[in-house]
Amino acid sequence: MIPGRLLLLAFLSLIVGLVTARRAPRLWLAATLTGAGAALAAATGVLAGGEVWEWRPTLAVGGEAVHLRLDAVSAFFLALLAVLGGAGGAYSRAYWTDAAHPRSAPSGRAWWNALLAFMGLVLLSANGLHFLIAWELFAVSGYFLITRERHRREVRQAGWLYLAASHAGTLCLFAFFALLAARTGSWELGPMRGRAELAPLFWLALAGFGLKAGLFPLHIWLPSAHANAPSHVSAILSGVAIKMGIYGLVRFSGWLPVPEAAAWTIAALGVVSAVLGVAFALGQHDLKRLLAYHSVENIGIILIGLGFALVAAAHGNPVWAQLAFAGGLLHVWNHGLFKALLFLGAGSVLHATGTREMSKLGGLWRAMPWTAGCFTLGAAAISGLPPLNGFVSEWLVYLGLFDAVGSRSSAAWVAVPAVVLLAMTGALALACFVKVVGVVFLGLPRTETAKHAHESGWFMRVPMLVLASACVAIGLFPMFFWPAVARAAAAWQPAWADAPVPEPLYALSACNITFALLGLLAAALLWRRVRRNGLSRAVTWDCGYAAPSARMQYTAGSFAGIITGWFAWILRPERHAKLPEGNFPAHAHFAEHTPETVLEKIVEPTGRLVMAVSTAVRRLQHGRLQSYILYLLLGLIALALLAFAGGGR
Amino acid sequence: MTGALNLLVALAMGLNLLALGSSRLPSLIRAAAVQGMVLGVLPLLLEHEFHGLVWVVAAATIAIKGFVIPGLLRRALRTAHIDREVEPLLGFIPSLLLGAMAAIGAVAFAGALPLRPEHAGTLLVPGAFATLVGGLLLLMGRSKAIAQVCGYLILENGIYLFGLLLIHATPLIVEAGILLDLTVGVFVIGIIVDRIQREFDTLDTRKLTSLRE
Repeated sequence: MIPGRLLLLAFLSLIVGLVTARRAPRLWLAATLTGAGAALAAATGVLAGGEVWEWRPTLAVGGEAVHLRLDAVSAFFLALLAVLGGAGGAYSRAYWTDAAHPRSAPSGRAWWNALLAFMGLVLLSANGLHFLIAWELFAVSGYFLITRERHRREVRQAGWLYLAASHAGTLCLFAFFALLAARTGSWELGPMRGRAELAPLFWLALAGFGLKAGLFPLHIWLPSAHANAPSHVSAILSGVAIKMGIYGLVRFSGWLPVPEAAAWTIAALGVVSAVLGVAFALGQHDLKRLLAYHSVENIGIILIGLGFALVAAAHGNPVWAQLAFAGGLLHVWNHGLFKALLFLGAGSVLHATGTREMSKLGGLWRAMPWTAGCFTLGAAAISGLPPLNGFVSEWLVYLGLFDAVGSRSSAAWVAVPAVVLLAMTGALALACFVKVVGVVFLGLPRTETAKHAHESGWFMRVPMLVLASACVAIGLFPMFFWPAVARAAAAWQPAWADAPVPEPLYALSACNITFALLGLLAAALLWRRVRRNGLSRAVTWDCGYAAPSARMQYTAGSFAGIITGWFAWILRPERHAKLPEGNFPAHAHFAEHTPETVLEKIVEPTGRLVMAVSTAVRRLQHGRLQSYILYLLLGLIALALLAFAGGGR
Repeated sequence: MTGALNLLVALAMGLNLLALGSSRLPSLIRAAAVQGMVLGVLPLLLEHEFHGLVWVVAAATIAIKGFVIPGLLRRALRTAHIDREVEPLLGFIPSLLLGAMAAIGAVAFAGALPLRPEHAGTLLVPGAFATLVGGLLLLMGRSKAIAQVCGYLILENGIYLFGLLLIHATPLIVEAGILLDLTVGVFVIGIIVDRIQREFDTLDTRKLTSLRE
């Protein structure tokens, strides 16, 4: 019962934090960190020992008996929640201070604890009704955290969009759980793989959880919410909150039978999300919006793993299914870690310069070396470069897909394009982060604010360093983390129990360590040469133009221009340009904006159409009794015709 | 017997058209009143055994529909100083055409219905349909409240005609109850009309639309 006590401690600490959030920020921080630590310990215990913790007190909430349960799948997500909850909490201490935000900071701390507690409750609930309650409370706390700066219009809009999308998803989940309860006769959740009649319900779960996870056509709320939330909130949204959608998909694809078409759909949506997510990211000029689109991309990678695992499980081929699933699952951790790291880094940049606009930044490496270093490490990890963690999980997915190709089954035909597109995603992500790091941290400052940037304090640096070291640790020693992944996979698919560490993982670890050592060696040699020979500074080649300024550097848009051109069919960039003309051009300007295509070209026109139709229908109600009687008469005639038409049957 | 019945129902159908075509409120009220009286006679023709209650109900129907209700309406007209013009929303000629089409359609439609043999030869069902449609046309096509009350009366006459199909099944006391409801309804409307006129200085229901919701 050790996990139980730890979870109780975590819960009580979060409550203490909730109470003290307003008056005593230090106590709040201590309580939150204690809670996160206790939750992490509980999760680690379950992941290491593999024993499922269950708690069924004689207590009923909403007429349903409380049933909490921490198995390896829940523990896997709980560990991520604990790490990011603690890191983000500590970060917010310096990032969202009472001095700078006297009104929103204290309540923000309270909502932070609420968010952590309710997400934990979602992970622990083994009762459909309580799952829904926790889910809704978690979504609402997320809304209050996103709208910390309510006085800004775009924040309010982002909040509304988040709330609308979230409730659309919750509606699907209501239908899902209600139908599930109606068909099984109980709200209790648990493995029911044998009941094939429950399979169609998984489509509802896919829609509901997919909206939260932000897979491609359902991601519309994600970019604006992530961009407009405070950075530590963006980190936990991207790191954990959207993973709750993945948790739901993993949980219920493990407990319920999954129609094979849904498995294929998940895999296909994964591929689409991965490619288009990174394509949209390339078109962004807002640092945090760009990171948000990378969340779509990485959710796509996770879903490729999950989708192919489901397809393989349906075909009874667990060998490569296990690899793909483990890759997808490990990517949940990895993406959580490096995306939180990147958001915290972006938050430091925002804190130092006051802008998320990349074309106003530049040359920040000199001013903020810690932030720049951590951000670059995160960027390398998210691009899937060895020796970091992003490579490990993507590589496991690749291994699964390669085995699928070799299996010569029907999955092979899909695995080949999936491998190609996944590789393309990796390349595009690398291009995108070269753009980000190059534009934001290298070169010269483009504006005065960027010139006067300052490094952030230790409260902000330490969480970044913790996350960065976690990225390095998973990258260098993946075999130590394999048992946790394998236990979660075994909880998902009981047939996979006791999977040994795959051989290639040791080889990968050796390669990564060698690679890292060689890299360090090369850096040391280079540093010595620089120290010995000194650096010489010169003007870059400027095409013969005699007076270059810092604003003439490559911009984010120009760097990515070629690649965004390939994807212009979906990105639909809006360009407003007045090109310089004549020998002595007087005035010229160029502006580019990549809209959220799905939202602006599909959802909004549909919404406007619905509004127009509703307004037209509203004209029917005008208060003239005579016409109302006419409606009645027409309705009666229609009913009579219906009765006559159906009378023959 | 059937001949007399058909004659009276045909007279009622003709009165529908008269109501639809009348341009002044008194003649509209008169048409509705005469129709009520004509229909009030019908139970006497349909009922085979004559006993006191039938006579009482028939007499009450004729008295209420032919005298009490029109009296109430005329009183409302007089005390509320309402213009005698009907002010149609739907013109008289279209109303008449629609009414005539409804009468023809009702005859054709009743021919297609699976009626009991004792009703098949009579004009009861087509007459009921035509009167219903006529009443609805008045309700939809006239703007003044009094004209609408007349439409409502004619509509009720149509329902009453339908009710006569079941005269052997429904006790006459039910008919008496309906009659009472109708009287009270018109009485209340008469009071309301007076109040509306005093409050808003008009009885044109088009101008009362701001009271919706």
